Amino acid sequence: MANMAQNEDKLVALASIAAELHSVMNVAYGVSLAAKNAKVISAQAGDKGLGFQPITDFIDEISQLAIEGVSTINENALRLSKIAVHEQRSYDAYKRFTSVIKKNEDAAYIKSLNPSMDRVETHMIKSFKEFRNSMKDLFVQLEEMDKHMLSARAIASVSRVVTSNAQEFRAKLDVVADNLDNAAVFIKDKVSDSYEHLDRVKTLTREHA
Amino acid sequence: MKVTKIFDKGHQWFMFGRDPEKADSIIDTNQYMIVAGERALLMDPGGIEVFAPMLGAILHHAKADQITDLFASHQDPDIISSLGLWDQALPEARLHAPWIWEGFIRHFGMNNIEYVGIPDEGNTLNLGLINLEFIPAHYLHASGNYHVYDPVAKILMSGDVGAALESPEGPIYVDDFDEHVTRMKMFHQRWMPSNRAKNDWISRVRKLDIEQMAPQHGRIFKGDDVKRFLDWFEELEVGTAIGNDDD
Ligand SMILES: [Fe+2]
Ligand SMILES: [Fe+2]
Repeated sequence: MANMAQNEDKLVALASIAAELHSVMNVAYGVSLAAKNAKVISAQAGDKGLGFQPITDFIDEISQLAIEGVSTINENALRLSKIAVHEQRSYDAYKRFTSVIKKNEDAAYIKSLNPSMDRVETHMIKSFKEFRNSMKDLFVQLEEMDKHMLSARAIASVSRVVTSNAQEFRAKLDVVADNLDNAAVFIKDKVSDSYEHLDRVKTLTREHA
Repeated sequence: MKVTKIFDKGHQWFMFGRDPEKADSIIDTNQYMIVAGERALLMDPGGIEVFAPMLGAILHHAKADQITDLFASHQDPDIISSLGLWDQALPEARLHAPWIWEGFIRHFGMNNIEYVGIPDEGNTLNLGLINLEFIPAHYLHASGNYHVYDPVAKILMSGDVGAALESPEGPIYVDDFDEHVTRMKMFHQRWMPSNRAKNDWISRVRKLDIEQMAPQHGRIFKGDDVKRFLDWFEELEVGTAIGNDDD
């Protein structure tokens, strides 16, 4: 019974990761758009925007990384939920088969259930291993995303220094830097929440084992 | 799970039901199994909650891999919500069920078992030693619905038709038809939607030679009680939730 509730918890925690990251996608798209804008502005600024041009490339790159990273993380969270459901189903069958065998030792054909029992057990162990591996991958992906966002914040503060020479374009370029910084803070926040959910999944998985 | 052998001449019919371990909040169901030599057919195998007691009871009479075929008269949870578990216990089996319900029944989880849709007009299943007929009983109560007729045993497995709301202590066979009507009346009036479908089914079933009519809830009708049931059902107005029927 405890296992059933834990598995439900696990499924909720996995769904929460997808929910957290949903909003990240829109923000990342926003940054990507801002980066493209900034490119236009720095081109207009000519020499005054010279230092800013490589930065806009970097902002564009990082927003692409965020978009791709979030889709991968989402796919993996979904995969984990699916594996968890499979695992739950094999586990449920395994439990019921076990009770059948225990209560009907005297049944003439009780041994004929053995092949199915073995199959379900193998399937359960396989799902469990698959779950663990995908979970590890997901932790790594979340850590990587966190690092990207740290670099994004660093770039935002560097760009403020660079734009100090951009004169009349400064305000516009600063808006881009602010956008990037806000987006990075927001995404970092969501990533850290997701990390917590995944930690909960990990704890539940350990208890389950 | 109580097991009663209701026919035993060359092949066997088993009735499973009156499960003492069943929770009061779920309706009592009868499951049936035909064992014909090396093969067996499980009919209306039941809900998730009866899976373990059912499988345990079966293994006293048949090997797991002997059950080559399953049958679901319709898509209801008390009929077939255990499918996801049978799918793991009997991965090589086939499920014969109304073609219109395939996309619905698959929601119970089916990765291994093969779905064999029964066409609207019904058909015959060869179970090795015997042939069984899937008799259409559409709209009684589900819009795609069949019964199983065994012409050798002269048994009609009649799904929800003939069902009675029964206590788990109730006997297996109808002993006093008039008294039994009190347990069937509301069920048929409320669950059966169409008088036209009812009369169509009655005319089809009257042509069959039936010694036992075995429903999915309640008691089995034997001998003259089968005819008594058909006469009673013919007179009964069904589909009562919307007042008077228009036909
Ligand atoms: Fe039903
Ligand atoms: Fe039913």
